Amino acid sequence: MSVGVVGGYGTLGYMLGNFVYPSGESNRGWMFVCTLDTLAPGASLDFTAPDGAKIVVARQESGETAESFLALSSVCPHLGCQVHWESQDQRFFCPCHNGAFDRQGNPLSGPPKAANQSLIRFPLKVEQGLLYVEVPLESVVPRDANHRESGVA
Amino acid sequence: MGQMATWLHERIPVSGGQLAELTNEPVPNHLKKWWFCLGGTPAYLFVVQIVTGILLALYYQPTPAAAFESVRYITEQASFGWFIRSLHKWAATLMIAAMILHQMRVYFTAAYQRPRELNWIIGMCLLMATLLTGFTGYSLVFEQLSYWGATVAANISDAAPVVGGFAKRMLLGGEQYNERTLSRLYILHAAVLPGTIVLLVICHIAQVRMHGVTEFPDPDEPVDQPRHFDFFPDHMLTELMIGLALMIVLCALATIVPATMGPKADPLTTPEIIKPEWYFYVSFRWLKLFSLSFAVISSGFIVCAMFLWPWIDSLLRRITGVQDISVYIGILATCLLVGLTVWEAAVAH
Repeated sequence: MSVGVVGGYGTLGYMLGNFVYPSGESNRGWMFVCTLDTLAPGASLDFTAPDGAKIVVARQESGETAESFLALSSVCPHLGCQVHWESQDQRFFCPCHNGAFDRQGNPLSGPPKAANQSLIRFPLKVEQGLLYVEVPLESVVPRDANHRESGVA
Repeated sequence: MGQMATWLHERIPVSGGQLAELTNEPVPNHLKKWWFCLGGTPAYLFVVQIVTGILLALYYQPTPAAAFESVRYITEQASFGWFIRSLHKWAATLMIAAMILHQMRVYFTAAYQRPRELNWIIGMCLLMATLLTGFTGYSLVFEQLSYWGATVAANISDAAPVVGGFAKRMLLGGEQYNERTLSRLYILHAAVLPGTIVLLVICHIAQVRMHGVTEFPDPDEPVDQPRHFDFFPDHMLTELMIGLALMIVLCALATIVPATMGPKADPLTTPEIIKPEWYFYVSFRWLKLFSLSFAVISSGFIVCAMFLWPWIDSLLRRITGVQDISVYIGILATCLLVGLTVWEAAVAH
Protein backbone atom coordinates (compact mmCIF):
# COMPACT_ATOMS: atom_id res chain seq x y z
CA MET A 1 0.00 0.00 0.00
CA SER A 2 2.79 2.40 0.95
CA VAL A 3 4.43 1.76 -2.45
CA GLY A 4 1.13 2.68 -4.14
CA VAL A 5 0.75 5.86 -2.08
CA VAL A 6 4.35 6.97 -2.64
CA GLY A 7 4.20 6.03 -6.33
CA GLY A 8 0.87 7.72 -6.92
CA TYR A 9 1.61 10.92 -5.05
CA GLY A 10 5.20 10.91 -6.36
CA THR A 11 3.98 10.78 -9.95
CA LEU A 12 1.48 13.55 -9.22
CA GLY A 13 4.23 15.63 -7.57
CA TYR A 14 6.52 15.09 -10.57
CA MET A 15 3.78 16.23 -12.96
CA LEU A 16 2.93 19.29 -10.84
CA GLY A 17 6.62 20.21 -10.50
CA ASN A 18 7.09 20.01 -14.27
CA PHE A 19 3.99 22.12 -14.81
CA VAL A 20 5.26 24.88 -12.49
CA TYR A 21 8.80 24.87 -13.91
CA PRO A 22 8.82 26.89 -17.15
CA SER A 23 9.30 24.68 -20.18
CA GLY A 24 11.26 25.34 -23.35
CA GLU A 25 14.25 27.51 -24.14
CA SER A 26 13.93 31.20 -24.84
CA ASN A 27 12.79 31.92 -28.36
CA ARG A 28 15.68 33.39 -30.39
CA GLY A 29 15.96 34.21 -34.06
CA TRP A 30 17.97 36.08 -36.72
CA MET A 31 16.87 39.62 -37.52
CA PHE A 32 17.97 41.91 -40.29
CA VAL A 33 20.06 44.88 -39.13
CA CYS A 34 21.24 46.75 -42.23
CA THR A 35 23.02 46.39 -45.53
CA LEU A 36 26.82 46.39 -45.26
CA ASP A 37 27.27 49.56 -47.30
CA THR A 38 25.10 51.64 -44.93
CA LEU A 39 27.47 51.10 -42.00
CA ALA A 40 30.90 52.60 -42.66
CA PRO A 41 33.98 51.40 -40.73
CA GLY A 42 34.04 53.16 -37.32
CA ALA A 43 30.31 53.93 -37.41
CA SER A 44 27.60 52.34 -35.29
CA LEU A 45 23.82 52.19 -34.93
CA ASP A 46 21.27 51.30 -32.27
CA PHE A 47 19.11 48.24 -32.86
CA THR A 48 16.17 47.29 -30.62
CA ALA A 49 15.37 43.60 -30.19
CA PRO A 50 11.72 42.54 -29.75
CA ASP A 51 12.32 41.83 -26.04
CA GLY A 52 13.27 45.48 -25.55
CA ALA A 53 17.02 44.99 -25.39
CA LYS A 54 18.96 47.75 -27.10
CA ILE A 55 21.91 46.55 -29.14
CA VAL A 56 24.74 48.70 -30.38
CA VAL A 57 25.95 47.39 -33.74
CA ALA A 58 29.37 48.77 -34.74
CA ARG A 59 31.60 48.18 -37.75
CA GLN A 60 35.19 47.81 -36.56
CA GLU A 61 36.92 47.33 -39.92
CA SER A 62 36.20 47.36 -43.63
CA GLY A 63 35.96 43.58 -44.06
CA GLU A 64 32.67 42.09 -45.23
CA THR A 65 32.42 39.18 -42.82
CA ALA A 66 30.63 39.04 -39.48
CA GLU A 67 34.00 39.32 -37.68
CA SER A 68 34.26 42.94 -38.86
CA PHE A 69 31.18 43.86 -36.84
CA LEU A 70 30.33 43.99 -33.16
CA ALA A 71 26.83 43.74 -31.60
CA LEU A 72 26.90 44.80 -27.97
CA SER A 73 24.00 44.18 -25.64
CA SER A 74 22.86 47.10 -23.52
CA VAL A 75 21.97 44.70 -20.73
CA CYS A 76 24.45 44.99 -17.88
CA PRO A 77 26.02 41.57 -17.19
CA HIS A 78 25.96 42.33 -13.45
CA LEU A 79 22.21 42.24 -12.72
CA GLY A 80 20.44 42.84 -16.01
CA CYS A 81 19.75 46.58 -15.94
CA GLN A 82 19.98 48.66 -19.14
CA VAL A 83 23.20 50.58 -19.64
CA HIS A 84 23.18 53.90 -21.49
CA TRP A 85 25.88 55.74 -23.41
CA GLU A 86 27.37 58.78 -21.67
CA SER A 87 29.06 60.79 -24.39
CA GLN A 88 30.77 63.19 -21.93
CA ASP A 89 32.61 60.30 -20.28
CA GLN A 90 32.79 58.10 -23.40
CA ARG A 91 31.38 55.11 -21.55
CA PHE A 92 28.33 52.93 -21.12
CA PHE A 93 26.96 53.45 -17.60
CA CYS A 94 24.64 51.22 -15.55
CA PRO A 95 22.61 53.21 -13.00
CA CYS A 96 21.74 50.18 -10.85
CA HIS A 97 25.13 49.52 -9.26
CA ASN A 98 27.40 52.05 -10.97
CA GLY A 99 28.97 49.68 -13.52
CA ALA A 100 30.81 51.31 -16.46
CA PHE A 101 32.07 49.93 -19.80
CA ASP A 102 34.14 51.31 -22.66
CA ARG A 103 32.87 51.50 -26.25
CA GLN A 104 34.04 47.92 -26.86
CA GLY A 105 31.96 46.71 -23.91
CA ASN A 106 34.95 46.05 -21.66
CA PRO A 107 34.42 46.79 -17.94
CA LEU A 108 35.88 50.03 -16.60
CA SER A 109 34.59 50.22 -13.03
CA GLY A 110 32.00 49.03 -10.52
CA PRO A 111 30.94 45.42 -9.85
CA PRO A 112 31.43 44.36 -13.54
CA LYS A 113 35.08 45.44 -13.32
CA ALA A 114 35.51 43.51 -10.06
CA ALA A 115 34.04 40.39 -11.69
CA ASN A 116 35.63 41.12 -15.11
CA GLN A 117 32.24 41.03 -16.86
CA SER A 118 32.01 42.60 -20.32
CA LEU A 119 28.83 43.59 -22.12
CA ILE A 120 27.36 40.54 -23.86
CA ARG A 121 28.03 40.27 -27.61
CA PHE A 122 25.23 39.01 -29.83
CA PRO A 123 26.01 36.59 -32.68
CA LEU A 124 26.15 38.23 -36.13
CA LYS A 125 26.11 36.83 -39.66
CA VAL A 126 26.44 38.29 -43.14
CA GLU A 127 24.46 36.92 -46.06
CA GLN A 128 24.47 38.44 -49.54
CA GLY A 129 25.60 41.84 -48.28
CA LEU A 130 23.05 41.93 -45.47
CA LEU A 131 23.92 41.97 -41.75
CA TYR A 132 21.84 39.87 -39.34
CA VAL A 133 21.89 39.59 -35.52
CA GLU A 134 20.54 36.73 -33.42
CA VAL A 135 18.32 38.10 -30.65
CA PRO A 136 15.52 36.98 -28.26
CA LEU A 137 12.18 37.28 -30.03
CA GLU A 138 9.92 37.26 -26.97
CA SER A 139 8.64 40.63 -25.80
CA VAL A 140 7.04 41.85 -22.55
CA VAL A 141 5.86 45.07 -24.11
CA PRO A 142 5.23 44.77 -27.87
CA ARG A 143 7.43 47.10 -29.83
CA ASP A 144 8.46 47.77 -33.38
CA ALA A 145 11.17 45.19 -33.87
CA ASN A 146 12.86 47.17 -36.60
CA HIS A 147 13.14 50.32 -34.54
CA ARG A 148 16.49 51.91 -35.33
CA GLU A 149 18.20 55.20 -34.65
CA SER A 150 21.41 56.83 -35.75
CA GLY A 151 24.56 55.69 -34.00
CA VAL A 152 25.52 56.94 -30.55
CA ALA A 153 28.61 54.94 -29.73
CA MET B 1 -32.06 31.44 24.25
CA GLY B 2 -31.59 28.42 26.48
CA GLN B 3 -32.60 26.10 23.65
CA MET B 4 -30.22 27.87 21.30
CA ALA B 5 -27.36 27.48 23.81
CA THR B 6 -28.16 23.79 24.24
CA TRP B 7 -28.26 23.29 20.44
CA LEU B 8 -24.94 25.04 20.06
CA HIS B 9 -23.29 23.20 22.97
CA GLU B 10 -24.41 19.87 21.52
CA ARG B 11 -22.57 20.68 18.28
CA ILE B 12 -19.60 22.49 19.84
CA PRO B 13 -19.07 20.66 23.12
CA VAL B 14 -16.75 23.19 24.75
CA SER B 15 -17.71 24.56 28.16
CA GLY B 16 -17.19 28.13 29.32
CA GLY B 17 -14.48 26.89 31.67
CA GLN B 18 -12.62 25.12 28.89
CA LEU B 19 -12.89 28.21 26.68
CA ALA B 20 -11.49 30.37 29.49
CA GLU B 21 -8.60 27.93 29.95
CA LEU B 22 -7.88 27.97 26.21
CA THR B 23 -7.74 31.75 26.00
CA ASN B 24 -6.38 32.66 29.43
CA GLU B 25 -2.72 31.99 28.92
CA PRO B 26 -0.94 33.45 31.97
CA VAL B 27 0.96 36.45 30.69
CA PRO B 28 4.09 37.71 32.54
CA ASN B 29 3.87 41.24 33.95
CA HIS B 30 6.53 42.62 31.62
CA LEU B 31 4.02 42.36 28.78
CA LYS B 32 2.19 45.33 30.30
CA LYS B 33 4.93 47.39 28.60
CA TRP B 34 3.91 47.99 24.99
CA TRP B 35 7.33 47.37 23.44
CA PHE B 36 7.06 43.76 24.55
CA CYS B 37 3.79 43.50 22.58
CA LEU B 38 5.36 44.01 19.15
CA GLY B 39 4.69 40.37 18.24
CA GLY B 40 0.96 41.04 17.92
CA THR B 41 1.50 44.14 15.76
CA PRO B 42 2.57 42.33 12.55
CA ALA B 43 -0.32 39.90 13.02
CA TYR B 44 -2.77 42.80 13.21
CA LEU B 45 -1.21 44.44 10.16
CA PHE B 46 -1.34 41.11 8.31
CA VAL B 47 -5.12 41.08 8.79
CA VAL B 48 -5.24 44.62 7.35
CA GLN B 49 -3.19 43.33 4.38
CA ILE B 50 -5.56 40.42 3.78
CA VAL B 51 -8.65 42.65 3.82
CA THR B 52 -7.19 45.44 1.66
CA GLY B 53 -5.48 42.87 -0.60
CA ILE B 54 -8.79 41.11 -1.34
CA LEU B 55 -10.33 44.49 -2.21
CA LEU B 56 -7.43 45.41 -4.52
CA ALA B 57 -7.62 41.99 -6.22
CA LEU B 58 -11.14 42.88 -7.39
CA TYR B 59 -9.59 45.29 -9.92
CA TYR B 60 -5.96 44.24 -10.38
CA GLN B 61 -5.03 42.45 -13.64
CA PRO B 62 -1.67 40.62 -13.61
CA THR B 63 -0.56 41.00 -17.23
CA PRO B 64 2.09 43.36 -18.64
CA ALA B 65 -0.49 44.95 -20.91
CA ALA B 66 -3.06 45.66 -18.18
CA ALA B 67 -1.28 45.71 -14.79
CA PHE B 68 -0.19 49.33 -14.76
CA GLU B 69 -3.53 50.59 -16.06
CA SER B 70 -5.45 48.51 -13.51
CA VAL B 71 -3.37 50.00 -10.67
CA ARG B 72 -3.98 53.44 -12.16
CA TYR B 73 -7.71 52.69 -12.22
CA ILE B 74 -7.60 51.66 -8.54
CA THR B 75 -5.63 54.78 -7.63
CA GLU B 76 -7.41 57.37 -9.70
CA GLN B 77 -10.92 56.15 -10.52
CA ALA B 78 -12.25 53.48 -8.15
CA SER B 79 -14.09 54.94 -5.14
CA PHE B 80 -11.62 55.20 -2.25
CA GLY B 81 -9.22 53.11 -4.34
CA TRP B 82 -6.36 55.47 -3.51
CA PHE B 83 -7.11 54.99 0.19
CA ILE B 84 -7.31 51.18 0.06
CA ARG B 85 -4.08 50.98 -1.97
CA SER B 86 -2.34 53.42 0.37
CA LEU B 87 -3.47 51.43 3.42
CA HIS B 88 -2.09 48.27 1.76
CA LYS B 89 1.23 49.94 1.01
CA TRP B 90 1.70 51.53 4.44
CA ALA B 91 0.52 48.43 6.32
CA ALA B 92 3.20 46.45 4.42
CA THR B 93 5.86 48.97 5.41
CA LEU B 94 4.76 49.01 9.06
CA MET B 95 4.41 45.21 9.13
CA ILE B 96 8.01 44.74 8.04
CA ALA B 97 9.21 47.43 10.46
CA ALA B 98 7.25 45.81 13.32
CA MET B 99 8.65 42.37 12.46
CA ILE B 100 12.21 43.68 12.45
CA LEU B 101 11.63 45.41 15.82
CA HIS B 102 10.00 42.26 17.25
CA GLN B 103 12.91 40.15 16.05
CA MET B 104 15.38 42.62 17.57
CA ARG B 105 13.50 42.49 20.89
CA VAL B 106 13.63 38.69 20.85
CA TYR B 107 17.32 38.77 19.92
CA PHE B 108 18.48 41.31 22.49
CA THR B 109 16.52 39.63 25.29
CA ALA B 110 17.91 36.21 24.22
CA ALA B 111 14.36 34.84 24.09
CA TYR B 112 15.51 32.43 21.37
CA GLN B 113 17.52 30.32 23.79
CA ARG B 114 16.66 26.74 24.71
CA PRO B 115 13.91 25.49 24.49
CA ARG B 116 12.63 28.15 22.06
CA GLU B 117 15.08 27.59 19.20
CA LEU B 118 12.37 26.23 16.89
CA ASN B 119 10.21 29.30 17.43
CA TRP B 120 13.17 31.51 16.47
CA ILE B 121 13.47 29.55 13.20
CA ILE B 122 9.73 29.89 12.59
CA GLY B 123 10.09 33.64 13.25
CA MET B 124 12.96 33.82 10.74
CA CYS B 125 10.81 31.99 8.16
CA LEU B 126 8.05 34.51 8.85
CA LEU B 127 10.46 37.39 8.29
CA MET B 128 11.69 35.90 4.99
CA ALA B 129 8.13 35.18 3.80
CA THR B 130 7.08 38.74 4.70
CA LEU B 131 10.05 40.28 2.86
CA LEU B 132 9.23 38.14 -0.19
CA THR B 133 5.60 39.21 0.01
CA GLY B 134 6.73 42.84 0.13
CA PHE B 135 9.00 42.32 -2.88
CA THR B 136 6.37 40.52 -4.99
CA GLY B 137 3.73 43.13 -4.11
CA TYR B 138 6.08 45.95 -5.08
CA SER B 139 6.72 44.20 -8.42
CA LEU B 140 3.02 43.94 -9.28
CA VAL B 141 2.55 47.67 -9.92
CA PHE B 142 4.57 47.34 -13.14
CA GLU B 143 6.16 50.74 -12.69
CA GLN B 144 9.70 51.42 -13.85
CA LEU B 145 11.18 50.81 -10.41
CA SER B 146 9.13 47.69 -9.74
CA TYR B 147 9.96 46.19 -13.16
CA TRP B 148 13.67 46.79 -12.77
CA GLY B 149 13.51 45.70 -9.13
CA ALA B 150 12.12 42.33 -10.24
CA THR B 151 14.73 42.03 -12.99
CA VAL B 152 17.59 42.79 -10.61
CA ALA B 153 16.23 40.42 -7.92
CA ALA B 154 15.87 37.57 -10.41
CA ASN B 155 19.45 38.07 -11.58
CA ILE B 156 20.65 38.16 -7.97
CA SER B 157 19.03 34.78 -7.36
CA ASP B 158 20.67 33.55 -10.58
CA ALA B 159 24.07 34.19 -8.98
CA ALA B 160 23.35 31.85 -6.06
CA PRO B 161 25.35 28.61 -6.28
CA VAL B 162 23.61 25.37 -7.39
CA VAL B 163 19.95 26.48 -7.18
CA GLY B 164 20.36 30.02 -8.59
CA GLY B 165 19.32 29.32 -12.19
CA PHE B 166 16.40 27.17 -11.07
CA ALA B 167 15.19 29.89 -8.67
CA LYS B 168 15.42 32.55 -11.38
CA ARG B 169 13.41 30.50 -13.89
CA MET B 170 10.81 29.64 -11.27
CA LEU B 171 10.45 33.30 -10.29
CA LEU B 172 10.29 34.71 -13.81
CA GLY B 173 8.66 31.76 -15.58
CA GLY B 174 11.47 31.79 -18.15
CA GLU B 175 15.00 33.00 -18.80
CA GLN B 176 13.99 36.62 -18.46
CA TYR B 177 11.05 38.84 -17.56
CA ASN B 178 8.24 37.79 -19.89
CA GLU B 179 4.46 37.86 -20.28
CA ARG B 180 4.00 35.08 -17.71
CA THR B 181 6.14 36.70 -15.01
CA LEU B 182 3.50 38.98 -13.49
CA SER B 183 0.98 36.17 -13.02
CA ARG B 184 3.63 34.17 -11.14
CA LEU B 185 4.48 37.10 -8.90
CA TYR B 186 0.76 37.68 -8.32
CA ILE B 187 0.06 34.06 -7.32
CA LEU B 188 3.06 34.15 -5.00
CA HIS B 189 1.95 37.45 -3.49
CA ALA B 190 -1.76 36.77 -3.15
CA ALA B 191 -1.94 33.03 -2.43
CA VAL B 192 1.28 31.09 -1.82
CA LEU B 193 3.07 33.49 0.53
CA PRO B 194 0.01 34.60 2.58
CA GLY B 195 -0.96 30.91 2.98
CA THR B 196 2.59 30.16 4.13
CA ILE B 197 2.48 33.08 6.57
CA VAL B 198 -0.83 31.86 8.05
CA LEU B 199 0.62 28.37 8.61
CA LEU B 200 3.79 29.80 10.13
CA VAL B 201 1.82 32.12 12.44
CA ILE B 202 -0.21 29.13 13.66
CA CYS B 203 3.05 27.24 14.39
CA HIS B 204 4.54 30.37 16.02
CA ILE B 205 1.58 30.83 18.36
CA ALA B 206 1.40 27.09 19.10
CA GLN B 207 5.06 27.21 20.17
CA VAL B 208 4.39 30.22 22.40
CA ARG B 209 1.48 28.32 24.01
CA MET B 210 3.60 25.19 24.48
CA HIS B 211 6.54 26.96 26.14
CA GLY B 212 4.74 30.01 27.53
CA VAL B 213 5.91 33.58 27.09
CA THR B 214 9.57 34.11 28.04
CA GLU B 215 9.86 35.40 31.62
CA PHE B 216 11.71 38.65 32.34
CA PRO B 217 11.12 39.21 36.07
CA ASP B 218 11.48 42.79 37.24
CA PRO B 219 13.91 42.83 40.22
CA ASP B 220 12.02 45.83 41.67
CA GLU B 221 8.69 43.98 41.61
CA PRO B 222 7.25 43.19 45.09
CA VAL B 223 7.53 39.46 45.76
CA ASP B 224 4.05 39.23 47.27
CA GLN B 225 2.40 40.51 44.04
CA PRO B 226 1.23 38.05 41.32
CA ARG B 227 3.82 37.72 38.54
CA HIS B 228 1.26 37.02 35.82
CA PHE B 229 -2.00 38.41 34.55
CA ASP B 230 -4.74 37.02 32.31
CA PHE B 231 -4.49 37.08 28.53
CA PHE B 232 -8.23 37.67 28.29
CA PRO B 233 -9.38 40.36 28.77
CA ASP B 234 -6.34 42.24 30.18
CA HIS B 235 -3.68 41.57 27.53
CA MET B 236 -6.31 41.44 24.78
CA LEU B 237 -7.26 44.98 25.75
CA THR B 238 -3.63 46.12 25.36
CA GLU B 239 -3.49 44.49 21.90
CA LEU B 240 -6.77 46.15 20.91
CA MET B 241 -5.45 49.54 22.01
CA ILE B 242 -2.27 48.99 19.96
CA GLY B 243 -4.47 47.95 17.02
CA LEU B 244 -6.54 51.11 17.36
CA ALA B 245 -3.42 53.28 17.52
CA LEU B 246 -2.04 51.47 14.45
CA MET B 247 -5.26 52.06 12.52
CA ILE B 248 -5.08 55.78 13.32
CA VAL B 249 -1.43 55.93 12.22
CA LEU B 250 -2.22 53.93 9.05
CA CYS B 251 -5.17 56.15 8.09
CA ALA B 252 -3.08 59.26 8.72
CA LEU B 253 -0.18 57.97 6.61
CA ALA B 254 -2.50 56.80 3.82
CA THR B 255 -4.14 60.22 3.72
CA ILE B 256 -1.08 62.42 4.14
CA VAL B 257 1.36 60.35 2.04
CA PRO B 258 -0.84 58.33 -0.35
CA ALA B 259 0.52 55.75 -2.79
CA THR B 260 1.23 57.38 -6.14
CA MET B 261 1.89 56.21 -9.70
CA GLY B 262 5.40 56.28 -11.13
CA PRO B 263 6.24 55.94 -14.83
CA LYS B 264 5.08 52.72 -16.52
CA ALA B 265 7.64 49.92 -16.87
CA ASP B 266 9.89 50.34 -19.89
CA PRO B 267 12.15 47.36 -20.66
CA LEU B 268 14.24 49.66 -22.87
CA THR B 269 15.30 52.14 -20.21
CA THR B 270 16.57 51.65 -16.70
CA PRO B 271 15.79 54.80 -14.65
CA GLU B 272 18.79 56.99 -13.91
CA ILE B 273 18.16 56.61 -10.17
CA ILE B 274 16.96 53.16 -9.17
CA LYS B 275 16.11 52.17 -5.59
CA PRO B 276 14.26 49.22 -4.07
CA GLU B 277 11.93 49.54 -1.07
CA TRP B 278 13.70 50.79 2.08
CA TYR B 279 13.98 47.32 3.64
CA PHE B 280 16.20 46.17 0.76
CA TYR B 281 18.53 49.20 0.91
CA VAL B 282 21.05 47.14 2.87
CA SER B 283 21.23 44.43 0.20
CA PHE B 284 21.33 47.03 -2.57
CA ARG B 285 24.29 48.86 -0.99
CA TRP B 286 25.98 45.52 -0.26
CA LEU B 287 25.74 44.67 -3.99
CA LYS B 288 27.41 47.97 -4.86
CA LEU B 289 30.25 47.39 -2.43
CA PHE B 290 31.22 43.88 -3.47
CA SER B 291 31.28 41.62 -6.52
CA LEU B 292 28.01 39.81 -7.26
CA SER B 293 29.26 36.36 -6.25
CA PHE B 294 30.70 37.58 -2.97
CA ALA B 295 27.63 39.71 -2.19
CA VAL B 296 25.20 36.84 -2.84
CA ILE B 297 27.23 34.17 -1.03
CA SER B 298 27.97 36.42 1.96
CA SER B 299 24.27 37.43 2.18
CA GLY B 300 23.28 33.75 2.13
CA PHE B 301 25.85 33.04 4.82
CA ILE B 302 24.51 35.87 7.03
CA VAL B 303 20.90 34.66 6.63
CA CYS B 304 21.97 31.08 7.48
CA ALA B 305 23.79 32.38 10.56
CA MET B 306 20.62 34.25 11.61
CA PHE B 307 18.59 31.05 11.29
CA LEU B 308 21.11 29.10 13.37
CA TRP B 309 21.79 31.87 15.90
CA PRO B 310 20.41 30.02 18.98
CA TRP B 311 23.12 27.37 18.49
CA ILE B 312 25.82 29.84 17.39
CA ASP B 313 25.09 31.94 20.48
CA SER B 314 25.41 28.90 22.71
CA LEU B 315 28.71 27.95 21.07
CA LEU B 316 30.12 31.47 21.30
CA ARG B 317 29.20 31.77 24.99
CA ARG B 318 30.86 28.45 25.72
CA ILE B 319 34.05 29.33 23.81
CA THR B 320 34.46 32.93 24.98
CA GLY B 321 32.83 32.72 28.40
CA VAL B 322 31.15 36.08 27.67
CA GLN B 323 27.44 35.67 28.41
CA ASP B 324 26.41 38.85 26.57
CA ILE B 325 28.47 38.25 23.43
CA SER B 326 25.34 38.12 21.24
CA VAL B 327 24.30 41.53 22.54
CA TYR B 328 27.62 43.06 21.43
CA ILE B 329 27.39 41.33 18.02
CA GLY B 330 23.78 42.51 17.75
CA ILE B 331 24.72 46.13 18.46
CA LEU B 332 27.45 45.92 15.82
CA ALA B 333 25.07 44.33 13.28
CA THR B 334 22.37 46.91 13.98
CA CYS B 335 24.87 49.76 13.47
CA LEU B 336 25.93 48.15 10.17
CA LEU B 337 22.31 47.68 9.03
CA VAL B 338 21.34 51.24 9.92
CA GLY B 339 24.56 52.63 8.46
CA LEU B 340 24.17 50.87 5.09
CA THR B 341 20.47 51.78 4.93
CA VAL B 342 21.15 55.48 5.63
CA TRP B 343 24.06 55.47 3.17
CA GLU B 344 21.89 54.03 0.39
CA ALA B 345 19.07 56.45 1.22
CA ALA B 346 21.36 59.46 1.21
CA VAL B 347 23.02 59.01 -2.20
CA ALA B 348 21.70 58.74 -5.74
CA HIS B 349 24.15 56.06 -6.85
